[in-house]
Amino acid sequence: MNLYLPIAEMSVSVFLILGMGASVGFLSGLFGVGGGFLLTPLLLFAGLPTLVAVGTAPAQVVASSVSGALSQWRRGNVDFKLGLVLVAGGVIGSFVGVKLVSVLRRTGQFDVFVSLTYVTLLGVVGTLMLIESLRSLQKTKRGVSSSLRRSGQHNWSHGLPLKMRFHRSKLYISALPPFMLGAFVGLLAAIMGVGGGFLIVPAMIYLLHVPTNVVVGTSQFQIIFVTAVTTILNATNSHSVDIVLALLLMLGGVIGAEAGAAAGERLKGEQLRFLLALMVLAVCLRVGWDLVSTPKDVFSIQTTEAP
Amino acid sequence: MTARFRPQFRFARRLGAVVGMLLVICGVLADAVEAQQPKRQSPPQPPVRGRQVPVLPPAPPPKAKADEPRAPELLPESVQADVSTRNVAVTSSFTGTEIVVFGAVDNSRQPGAESGYYDIVVVIEGTPGHVDVRRKSRVGGIWLNTRNASFHDVPSYYAIWSTRPLDEIASEATMIGYEIGFDHVRMTPSGGTEGIGSSSQLPAADLGEFRTALVRLKRQSGLYVKDEFGVTFIGRSLFRANIALPANVTVGPFDTRVYLFRNEKLLSQYNVRLNLEREGIERHVHDFALGWPLVYGISTVLMAMFAGLAAAYVSGKSLR
Repeated sequence: MNLYLPIAEMSVSVFLILGMGASVGFLSGLFGVGGGFLLTPLLLFAGLPTLVAVGTAPAQVVASSVSGALSQWRRGNVDFKLGLVLVAGGVIGSFVGVKLVSVLRRTGQFDVFVSLTYVTLLGVVGTLMLIESLRSLQKTKRGVSSSLRRSGQHNWSHGLPLKMRFHRSKLYISALPPFMLGAFVGLLAAIMGVGGGFLIVPAMIYLLHVPTNVVVGTSQFQIIFVTAVTTILNATNSHSVDIVLALLLMLGGVIGAEAGAAAGERLKGEQLRFLLALMVLAVCLRVGWDLVSTPKDVFSIQTTEAP
Repeated sequence: MTARFRPQFRFARRLGAVVGMLLVICGVLADAVEAQQPKRQSPPQPPVRGRQVPVLPPAPPPKAKADEPRAPELLPESVQADVSTRNVAVTSSFTGTEIVVFGAVDNSRQPGAESGYYDIVVVIEGTPGHVDVRRKSRVGGIWLNTRNASFHDVPSYYAIWSTRPLDEIASEATMIGYEIGFDHVRMTPSGGTEGIGSSSQLPAADLGEFRTALVRLKRQSGLYVKDEFGVTFIGRSLFRANIALPANVTVGPFDTRVYLFRNEKLLSQYNVRLNLEREGIERHVHDFALGWPLVYGISTVLMAMFAGLAAAYVSGKSLR
């Protein structure tokens, strides 16, 4: 069954898109990340224009983050205050990112820039997560309980002004690092069409020392806002949001996320992080290969609407 | 056994109910949108009629064949044509379409359908647009777009259907004059650049390479098509051609030109307009996205939030 997408101006197989939504939903339910970093490349492999893929993926991430954040909130795992600081930074980051996208599109290097950013970030985050998860897997084998949080630790960030108390996270830190982190992730959300969960989760754990149980819920809470703003900005700036495509992805995602969450109950945290790291690295290698391997055709065409 | 499975059944039922609900809501919304906007009146412009095009002598008039013996009582031939569907509706189920271009040669002197006395060339051109052609090359191990050329007025779609290969029908010069053939598709180069982000001009000599690449890529995506034996005569004067429009064609007006050739000489030309229009939901969504982008963006976000809420509802109930 095929469906014509009004903005992408092409006919796609409904089951292919539902399947993509479902598989990304499954993984996001399993790992607690939005899944945008997987969805955008999948849409590109399906032949959708880069602009539409990047513009529409955040809409699907809004849906998965709302459902994720709600179930975390029921368990009391959302730090709203910390989340709002991240959101404040994220909104500013999105604005800058959307402007950057239009500049890059004019120079004709947008696709390459997106690929390069992907490879760099996925490579770094994937490698770090792989090392960390392997270490904790070894530790649990030896019977040592691993804790990522070292209490009473002080570093340079404690000298910064604007200190705030985050009760749920049991933190008393400057608002600047989470604000900057939010801005950085917002920027990436706009450029790469991702929510940034795969970046913000490790960053909150390792840089801000937020307790692990609060991290996933809080990051999902802030991702709702960042991706919502990004979706609206994409719709107004580049008309690149395809609502039909988004709806199909969401329907698939809703079903997949439930199956993923059920599967996730049976795995340990370290095992999950290890699997996520492998997946992140696989995507990184796939995108990276396209950058360095000789392309089938050195020419490419892009039709722009008449001004 | 049955007792153990019940919660899962309940979960599946709820999931089904929510998905069903979403679909129903989408349907209702679509109907509401349809109902709100009055049935679209017929397009403001008067119905497009085909028109006979006066044949001007082509750039280099092929004098050689002009002295063909011609009986004085015979009237000059002319061609008339039409397309099977003047307005093609692009709806959500659009997966491309096939149109039939048919026509007749007036005052035909052809003895029969198989005689090959006349040659017909049908050209369909989609809405012209601006196309950037980019060439990648390896920079420090990575493939980057380094050279760029722009073309204006490039037809989004270009089909040539003919009774015989074009080079047998008329001379190269004639084909250039009438913009028939992939090598003669009208497109205006508007400069190019060399190097990343630099503004140094691309040498004009290299533009040809980019033009060839453009046509090749368009052919690969099925937007530039040809069939050298696609036009067939049915009897002395009637002819027809089946032309496929793929699903990825750009929506808009299509110019259809029908040429009648005899002995490398153009005898008559007939033009007819074909229109591809978004219809139904596709049309509303597209108009909505371009006309009220802010409201459209917010609606998409609200839809996403609703989908998320529905998912949370399903999982929350099934966990209990």
